[in-house]
Amino acid sequence: MDEKFIEVSQLHKTFYNKRQRIEVLKGIDLSVQKGEIYGIVGFSGAGKSTLVRCMNRLEEPDSGTVRIGDKEITSLGKAALNEQRRKIGMIFQQFNLFDSMTVAQNIAYPLKLTGVKGREANERVDEMLALVGLTEKKKAYPGELSGGQKQRVGIARALANRPDVLLSDEATSALDPQTTLSVLDLLKEINEKLGLTIILITHELEVIKYACHRMAVMEDGRLLEQGLVKEIFRHPKCETARNFISVYNRFRSEEEQEDVQ
Amino acid sequence: MSLYKYSFWEVLKHSFSAEVWDKVMPAIGETMYMVAVSSVFVLIFGVLLGLILVMTSKEGLVPCKVIHSILGAVINCFRSLPQVIIIIVMLPVARALVGKSYGSNACIISLIASCVPLFARLVESSLLEIDKGKIEAAKAMGSGNMRILFTIMVPETLPSLIRAFTNAVVIVISMTALAGSFGAGGIGYIAVTYGYTRYRHDLLFATIVVLIVIVQAVQLVGDTISKVILKKRHLI
Repeated sequence: MDEKFIEVSQLHKTFYNKRQRIEVLKGIDLSVQKGEIYGIVGFSGAGKSTLVRCMNRLEEPDSGTVRIGDKEITSLGKAALNEQRRKIGMIFQQFNLFDSMTVAQNIAYPLKLTGVKGREANERVDEMLALVGLTEKKKAYPGELSGGQKQRVGIARALANRPDVLLSDEATSALDPQTTLSVLDLLKEINEKLGLTIILITHELEVIKYACHRMAVMEDGRLLEQGLVKEIFRHPKCETARNFISVYNRFRSEEEQEDVQ
Repeated sequence: MSLYKYSFWEVLKHSFSAEVWDKVMPAIGETMYMVAVSSVFVLIFGVLLGLILVMTSKEGLVPCKVIHSILGAVINCFRSLPQVIIIIVMLPVARALVGKSYGSNACIISLIASCVPLFARLVESSLLEIDKGKIEAAKAMGSGNMRILFTIMVPETLPSLIRAFTNAVVIVISMTALAGSFGAGGIGYIAVTYGYTRYRHDLLFATIVVLIVIVQAVQLVGDTISKVILKKRHLI
């Protein structure tokens, strides 16, 4: 297994507005193995979303490097970056589907960018729809779909070009618990079936517990702790991780108590 | 027929007579010609300038402060002038471009000068309505700027753009009537020369009816197209 398929080192990013400068990333070092689901958890404002957006340079880091496979993302020129972005899928909290296109056209959009056309494109769309279980919605518009279905289309669209990496920016945060589970199941299935590396950002620890192999805890622009999910649950080292886990456990124990009653 | 001599109902009735419509019909043709030609130009240049405004803005895909501020300032200059003043200012320009400072074609020049900046701002605000996340999604897929503009931004905001254009055409129509009093011909000319100076209130009424019908029709068409698109996308 490729130990350091994705490597982030010394990533810094500062935002400026009129009054203040906010240091969102304060030197992030992170490595992700090929084929794993890597979770990053943190409270809102911790910088996790900025971190993942720096990985495909939707946000330009101030300094530091991001490498995916053998490509150093942070040193790519504009054309090369666009080329590389086609190999990095991304899904979003608000799905960001194109309302002017049907489900099939949404999935075919990234294919146009890589020059996949005609029958081949059509076959790929059908394949993706089958993968996410929405074959019968091929000709529907996003406006007709439920949140969970929209995210499935988002996933199909992100995978159409057979990327090596999928970035998930709070992809389940706008969904109800049941739909969250089914989307996570889908991500796990894809991870196993296609060997896809997934980086999953969330503020919900249960999402990480359910889906991820390894995780990192982030707070105030720093990664406080990283390691196997099991390990961190057993021996959380930092205060924030302990906090997250105690909240998680309290929810669970209350549920269990209710079950007993 | 004047309201000073006849009752309102008599004048109104006469405004639908053949004599009145013999004068009004050719004017409708002239007005339609001016509105149609101006609207096409307004559409082309307004969309073009609106796109440039959005693209070059600070949050846009190709931020360029110089172009954005200069274009914005020029548009604001034109927009600060009342339409009457634009017509007067554009008279020499019209003479230089089409050879005379009166008539339909001269009028079209002032209509364009007045309505392009207005429509450019409307296009800008329509395009800014787009959910930024959609642009980010396209960027994340590796789509280039021009492709994002024409395959995402314009189609996604199309219903709003159509409503904006409908508004622009309605303003073009009202301005055509205004330009009529500066020798442009058409409905406005009839209203001023007969309705105002000769107290032919029957003709005045006829022009009012014509203008209301035209504007209603334009609004109806615009609203319908926009609604059909939204329905098709299941957004309403």
